[in-house]
Formats: sequence, C-alpha cells, structure tokens
Amino acid sequence: MSFSGFRVRHPGISKVIDSLWIVPFFLFCLIFEIIPILVLVRDSFVSSTGTVTFSNYLGLKEPVYMLSFWNSIRLSAITAFLGTVFGTFIGYSILKTRKRWLKELFTALANVTTNFAGAPLAFAFIIILGANGVVTLIFAQVLNIQLYPQFQIYSYAGLVIAYTYFQLPLMILLIIPSFAGLQKEWREAAVNMGATTFVYWRYIGLPILAPSLIAGFVLLFANAYGAYATAYTLVASKLMLVTTQIAFVIRGEVIHDPGLARAMATVSLVIMGICIAIYKVAISYAPGAEK
Amino acid sequence: MKDGVVSRTFFLLLFIVYMLVPILATYIFSIAVRWDRTILPEGYTFEWYSQTFQHPYFIIALRNSLMLATYTVIMNLILIIPAAYIAHTRLPSVKLQMDLLTILPFGIPRVILALALITVFTMPPITRSPFLLVSACTIFSMPYMYRPISNSLEAMDLKTINDAAQLQGANSWQILIYIIGPNIISGIVSGSLLVFSAIFAEYTLAVLITGARFKTLPMLLVEFTRRDGRIASAISVIAFTIAMLLSLAIIAVTRNREQVPKR
Repeated sequence: MSFSGFRVRHPGISKVIDSLWIVPFFLFCLIFEIIPILVLVRDSFVSSTGTVTFSNYLGLKEPVYMLSFWNSIRLSAITAFLGTVFGTFIGYSILKTRKRWLKELFTALANVTTNFAGAPLAFAFIIILGANGVVTLIFAQVLNIQLYPQFQIYSYAGLVIAYTYFQLPLMILLIIPSFAGLQKEWREAAVNMGATTFVYWRYIGLPILAPSLIAGFVLLFANAYGAYATAYTLVASKLMLVTTQIAFVIRGEVIHDPGLARAMATVSLVIMGICIAIYKVAISYAPGAEK
Repeated sequence: MKDGVVSRTFFLLLFIVYMLVPILATYIFSIAVRWDRTILPEGYTFEWYSQTFQHPYFIIALRNSLMLATYTVIMNLILIIPAAYIAHTRLPSVKLQMDLLTILPFGIPRVILALALITVFTMPPITRSPFLLVSACTIFSMPYMYRPISNSLEAMDLKTINDAAQLQGANSWQILIYIIGPNIISGIVSGSLLVFSAIFAEYTLAVLITGARFKTLPMLLVEFTRRDGRIASAISVIAFTIAMLLSLAIIAVTRNREQVPKR
C-alpha cells in the first residue's frame, strides 16, 4: 500500500514498461516495411526455380530495361535541375517581397500547390496542352503556331512539364529557410569593398548556398524518380520508366518476370540510398536549413 | 536597393502563371459546356457535377478514400504519439532510431513498397486487402505525422515537466493525456491533416495493392481521364478543393502555434 499516491518502481521495471510504449511502432515498421523490403532484395537474387542467381540482374541488360532506367534518371535529373534553378530564384524573389501579405500569399500558394500532383496534375496538363487544349488553341488561333503534331503532352516533353510543376513548390519551400544563412552584413561588407552583385553571388552567396542547393537537387531527384501516378496518367505504356515497369508487373498488364521487377526495385533502392546519403552530407553543411 | 526588381517580378509572375493556370483550367473545364474548339468555353453548366454525383461508383470511391485516410490517421496516432513521447522523454537512445525509421519511407518509392508488401503478404485474408493498404499508407505517411509532433515535443522542457508530474504521482497515461497532450495538440492536428490529405489523394499504393476491389477517388479519376474528361475534371476539382482546404487549415494551425510564444 502506498501512502500518498507515491509509487516507487524498480528502475529496471519502469524501463521495461517504457519500452512497451514503443514496441507497437517498431513492430509495425518491422512487419510492414523492413522485413518486406529485405525479402524483396533477397528474392532479387533468387531464380524462379529457387536457386541463388544473378540472372535477374543480367536480364536488366536488355535494351527495354536499360531504356527505362535511362528515361527515369534523365527525367529526374532534368526536372530536378529545372526545379532547383527556378525554385531558388522564385524562393529568393518571395523572400525579398516587401509586403508581408504578399509574401504570405506566395508561400501559401507554394504550400497549396504541393497537393496538386499525380493524376489531377496530369489531367490538368491534358486540358491545357492536349491536342485541343486551351493553350494549344491560343497558340494556334492567336499566335498562329501549330504545336501539334511536333509537340505532344503524352510524351517525354509533357512529362518534363508536368514533373517540373510538382518539383517547383517543393524546392521553394525547401530553399527559403536556407536564405536565412546569408547574413545581411556580409552583403553590405562586400558592397562596401566594391563587389558587384555578380561578384557577391559568385564568391559569397553561392558557396554558402551550395550545400542547400545540392540537398534540394537530390531530394527532387528522388521525388521524381519515385513518381508514378503522373506518368501513368499521362503516358501509360507509351514511355518506359522504372516505376511504370515495376507497376506493370504488379498489375499484371504485361507478362513480365517478377524476378526482373525485384532486380529493378533493388537497383532503384540503391539509387535512392545514394540520394539520401548525398542529402545527409550536404544538409550537414547547410546553414539555416532544417537538419 | 532597387536592383533585381524586374527579374524578381518576372520570376514571381512565372511562378503564379505556371502554378495557377493548370488549376484554374481544371475548375473552368468542369463547368464548361464544351471547351475544345474555342479559346473561351462555349457556355457554362453544372451538368458534369450532377452526373458525377449520380455515378454509382462516385459515392463508393469517395467513401473508400475518406475511410482510408481516416483509418491511416488513426493508425498513425496510435503508433506515433506514445512512441514519440517515450522516445523524447525517457529513452533518448530510441529517438535516433525513430527519427531514422520515420525518414526511411521517403527513400522507398511507393511502387517498390507495394511490390515488397505484395511479395511478402501472399496469404488470402491479408493479401491485397484494404487492411494491407491502410498499413502501407501508414508506413508511407509516418514522416508527415512524426515531424510536427516531434517538433512540438522538442519545444517543451519535457524532463522538468515529466519529473514534476511523476513526483505528484501521475502515471504515464495521465502525464500524456493531461500535460503533454494539450501542449502538442497543434502538432497532432497539423500532422493528422497532412496525413489525411496525402492519403486522400493517394493513387499509387491503392491501385497497386487493392486494385479494382477497393476503388478510391483518385482511381476513379484516372479511369475517367480516359473515358470522359468532363467527369474527370469534376472529380479533380472536388479532390483538389478538399486538399486545398486541408492545407489552408494546416497553415492556420501552424501559424497559431508560432504566434503563441510572442504573446
């Protein structure tokens, strides 16, 4: 019996009780994330007859799979680059906006538009840039420029336009805190010593910002690489991407070897791992960014 | 300093046009009688909305999406809050692992998560079931829930609060519900809203794990982009309007939280 509501537990026992609170979380991650991913990686080294093999990986040398990787990597790199460059300039312009309400409005716009992704985004671009889309019509009727058939929204170029749309707001939200690392005094000091805007950015601004830019770029790269809904809605099977190829195996729309899908997935996980590693290193050098 | 005003205006205008034109076009398309021959629509109508609501699958898909998002939020709350609380207060060694586990889903594309889950869970009641889908969505959305809660917990002097409460004879549940809870509620609310809007719009996991037997709103939307663009635009508007309201709510919640210490 306790006297005043005090209960003194053996420290070892309370440690055990504390641990019980976190067990469901770790167990859940283990069952639905860690183990399935490890099994997937293991099975990528197993042939359909159950022997250990590299044949799944050797099968990736087929042109269609090499093309899928090339398409995915190139698309991710191009849209990550566009997102990083334009996102940085737009983020800076938002930061330099004097009127507080306008600044908040731009930030809110970036926040809200991160929700406009996947199928709705792909469909919106079909509406404006499809064969009968409003922008296509404006080009044809006002500017007298026929976009079609040279340009197609259901194509690689269409994917670049649509992917850049979801990369931009992400980069803007990522880069704005990083500008806080650039202190006003440094700019004033540089200007006082006769530095032009170009010299300031080339020798002070950009080197300080570089880690944040690299971190942003690899995050956008990984973001685009893993995207599926936008690509499926826009190009479906017309263009090979790693994610659409893996999804075809799951959906059973095309007869594929599941071993190849596992090998593709494992290679993709390695690519993602490299991205995360670069991100971690870069962000540790970035001032002001969220660690 | 006046320099750069022109280029800044240019970038901001580019930003507004690029971001808003696709969204506005979708809204206008959904109320346009016809909009594929002329620059301006040939009249306006609510016909596509009434057709959408009358479609037998629309209500089912909407209900499925709402249920999926709700269950995912509940799973997240049950798994994350107690674990995050203990990791931040009494088991700092666990916090690092928890940080890592809640970032991990960002590095696993959803297509690959779906493939892994389908490879492992092949036995009948669970394979390709809505339960497996909720689990996958929970894994994928954990970072959205954990980050805001972790931030609110880090803003508190947890050790002092915890010691004081324990000295008064409060048990872990009482501390969590009466003391920690009210202080991290804004983190919980914005985390829940983020998870809800992410899962409400989730297409990839749903189509790859359950497929047609558990049709969600984004799945219906993709179907209609190929069959009837007018219905597709109406579904798109409904989905985006819900997501937009949720993210404006998140902005409001986080703003209130940031303003508290200033008072």
